[in-house]
Amino acid sequence: MGTIRFRFIMVALVVSFFAVGMAAFLNYFKYKSTINNIVKSRVLVVGRGIENTVQASLQLGMQFAELQQLPQMMAREKSADRLVRAIDVFDTSGQILYSTDSGRVGQKVPTVWTSAAQRSKSTEWSTDETDDLVAGISIKNAFDLTVGYLALRYSREEVERAATTAGREIMLAALASFVALAIVAPLALIVVIRRFERDLRTLEAAASHLEDRNQPPPAAGSAFDGAINHLRASLREANKALDDLRAKLDAAG
Amino acid sequence: MLEKNYLWRVYWRLAGVIMVSVVIALAVVSYFSHRVFDRELVPETEQKAATVGASVRALVLKATSWGVPFTQLYGADQTFGDVFEENPEFTYAAITDSDGTLLFSRGREPDGAREYFHAPSILAVGLDPTATWKATKVGNLYFIAMPIASDKPLGILHIGIDGKFVDNVLLEVLLDVVVVLVVSLFFTLELLNFMAGARLASGLGEFGQQVERMRSGDFTATARVRANDEIGRLLRRIDAAIDHLNVRYEFLVGELEDKLRSATGTRRDALKPAMTALESIRSRFRFGSAPASAEGDEMNLNRIRAPLFAFILAEEMTRSYLPSYVNQLLVAIPGVSPQVVIGLPIMIFMLIVALGQPYLGSWSERVGRRRAMLIGASIATVGFAATSLAFNLYDLLLWRSLGGLGYAMVFVAAQGYVLDRTGHTNRAQGFALFIGAIMVATVCGPSIGGILADNIGFRASFAVSAVMAMLSILAIARLPATEPRSPAARPSRAPRMREVMALLFNKRFMTLTGLAAMPAKVILTGVCFYLVPLYIVSIGNTSAMAGRMLMVYAVMMVMIVPLSATLSDNSMRRDRYVSIGLIISGLSGMLLLVSDSFLVLFGVVFLLGLGQALSIAAQSALVSEHCHEEIRIYGHDAVYGVYRLLERLGNAMGPLIASLLVIFWGYQGAFVAISAMVLVCGIAFTIATRGYEFEPVTATAP
Repeated sequence: MGTIRFRFIMVALVVSFFAVGMAAFLNYFKYKSTINNIVKSRVLVVGRGIENTVQASLQLGMQFAELQQLPQMMAREKSADRLVRAIDVFDTSGQILYSTDSGRVGQKVPTVWTSAAQRSKSTEWSTDETDDLVAGISIKNAFDLTVGYLALRYSREEVERAATTAGREIMLAALASFVALAIVAPLALIVVIRRFERDLRTLEAAASHLEDRNQPPPAAGSAFDGAINHLRASLREANKALDDLRAKLDAAG
Repeated sequence: MLEKNYLWRVYWRLAGVIMVSVVIALAVVSYFSHRVFDRELVPETEQKAATVGASVRALVLKATSWGVPFTQLYGADQTFGDVFEENPEFTYAAITDSDGTLLFSRGREPDGAREYFHAPSILAVGLDPTATWKATKVGNLYFIAMPIASDKPLGILHIGIDGKFVDNVLLEVLLDVVVVLVVSLFFTLELLNFMAGARLASGLGEFGQQVERMRSGDFTATARVRANDEIGRLLRRIDAAIDHLNVRYEFLVGELEDKLRSATGTRRDALKPAMTALESIRSRFRFGSAPASAEGDEMNLNRIRAPLFAFILAEEMTRSYLPSYVNQLLVAIPGVSPQVVIGLPIMIFMLIVALGQPYLGSWSERVGRRRAMLIGASIATVGFAATSLAFNLYDLLLWRSLGGLGYAMVFVAAQGYVLDRTGHTNRAQGFALFIGAIMVATVCGPSIGGILADNIGFRASFAVSAVMAMLSILAIARLPATEPRSPAARPSRAPRMREVMALLFNKRFMTLTGLAAMPAKVILTGVCFYLVPLYIVSIGNTSAMAGRMLMVYAVMMVMIVPLSATLSDNSMRRDRYVSIGLIISGLSGMLLLVSDSFLVLFGVVFLLGLGQALSIAAQSALVSEHCHEEIRIYGHDAVYGVYRLLERLGNAMGPLIASLLVIFWGYQGAFVAISAMVLVCGIAFTIATRGYEFEPVTATAP
């Protein structure tokens, strides 16, 4: 295989690898973000039910720290969806007031939770910086002041398992496409650069006969015909001048 | 002789084949991805619909527990509406009684829904209060049915999921795939040039030169090492033919000289024709060794393209998401608005580039272009890597400053590399190559950077830029270590303060610089690097979308600049192109007065790209035309040095001005105000240059 052809094929392979790799990367991440969003919004549906109850209690004048029926309701809602691992309600300082995991009451939530909740532009917030994924809702009173937050912890493995399965399949599809491309593209390239290679071969062949004195080969219709003719003519002229000198030297004896 | 565009025709054909193959491969990947999405996402969405359904059912049961008859529920339609609003993939919802008679519904009822409601398997769900939910596909919808039961079965709740929601998810990916395709095309052309074309073009160019030399009678032999490829072998054959001629010539000359030494009288007369023939040969042909030419491999300008492209790409990749990243690391600085703080890293970067360039030019001359580029790229790599690990805004400013310094070093040294290896005849060609590498990086960088930032995050994207900058170091290391610049050559110098001051108060110079060059840069960095990335994210879009927008700008530049440069050169009325360009740029932001829709923003970037493309080439060429008197007094280097300095200060001012405008008038107001400023400058420039007779100078601006 010619060096130039090899280089062109390498270009095709590098570009194909980039394009197919990027497409697989995009599809995988799109899948991951979509499944994340679906699961997160599903978890938040559970949270909305609790939030509505808290809101209703607050509007009746009850204190946020004194909602005695809330833990039972949270436990009921948690059992409604196997994905939810725990539900916590914490105040603005990050202290847990209610939790489906009673041992956590009184503890502080990780600071990433409170900062994610405070950073969010809407009432919904989420963070994936802890072991479990967390989706939450800011709880506001009648004056639109945030009195606390609701956090639903749900299984990271479940989401990642789905993403891994999809990722593996997308990668396999990409790999198969790349292999097919690696076979087809060089063949297509060979067809396309045939004319260019023929031009180069003509040129090389002509160059190998540059010093032949006999008639030049007929024009091959290559892009280099003109250049080859010029080369041959220049060499012929120079040789002719040297032949003339030779003849004159011979004649002088 | 070889046709000028012969190689480019070959490249385009190759690029076409590669693109077709890539499109087919992408279609295959998309098809399989669709299958995976369908199979995995539909059950998850059904599960979500069941959770939402359970919430709706709880509301229904609460109402019936208060004594509202199940068939007379109030507000079911509105509840369904709220569900659709929060979950756009749900397009139909209904409640039927236990017999399958429709009681309440919202959304377009699919064909076959009534039959489905009455299907025995579905009615069985309603009669079994312990049943969870059942999924069925009806028409184009995926339905889930769940029982509503208190102490007895009341009915069935149905939620329909749009069957096309998976298509819609993939449609969002499609835009990014199109971007990948466009970037792949540019990558293909760059790689063709880097991996094959540079050597091929150089080999064919050398072949062409050899043919010309031989046509002119020059048969001097070169002692070059030829590559072991088709062109190398061809050149070796030509070298061999020339060598044979030279040997023959030397032999004949030696023989004649020998005979002349020993010849006397008539014998000497007999050699006269041979002597005349030799004289004739000497007058027509040249033999012997060719002088050591500077046109060797070191002179191959193409070799600068790959490292420059890789390096600029690393920086351009950050354009679409840098302001959002800064926003994330924002630290309150007392007395400074957050909007200004977000613009600070861009501003400082541009300021370092502007102030550093005049001095870095002579520095890179002293240490050598290649070494300067290596140092610059290494500093920038550290800057990118450290930015990816930044703690807060303060250290980010430091790391971006390092990036700016590295960028300025590489840019100036690469420019010097081209200058050192070009003369008057091929300088324009050299700079076309230099600008070409930058423009391609500008097309590919922001879009790919935006996609990366959206998917792997800002920090990891900066790490990718660091890797790209590191790759550029490898490519720079392959550049020739020898410097073709003669030690006796006059060193370039930065403009002196008195020259700067004199030019600052020069009306002709400042008309061009203050009314055209600086406003053009202010709107470029203010809009493209600051406002567009922040505004797009603020209206709920992604960094990838910001990247696509910036890509529109870059594509306009790539397509229009060569055309406008040719047209303005031919017409010799470059001032008109600058005026029109400035006015179009100035009108761009005004579009946001009409509407703040996304399509209008696209129009803003499109017009800005068009305006800048029309004026950019003509602007620097106008310096020679407009300021020939100043060039005569202060010298070409000083005038262009001050021009470039002020132009780049415009780059630094852009984000500052834009951020101040955002404080007072918000994003839309800032777009309009910055554009209005450029429009006023454009009109003032038009009036100031009206009737001005320009001297026809063919400028080759560095």
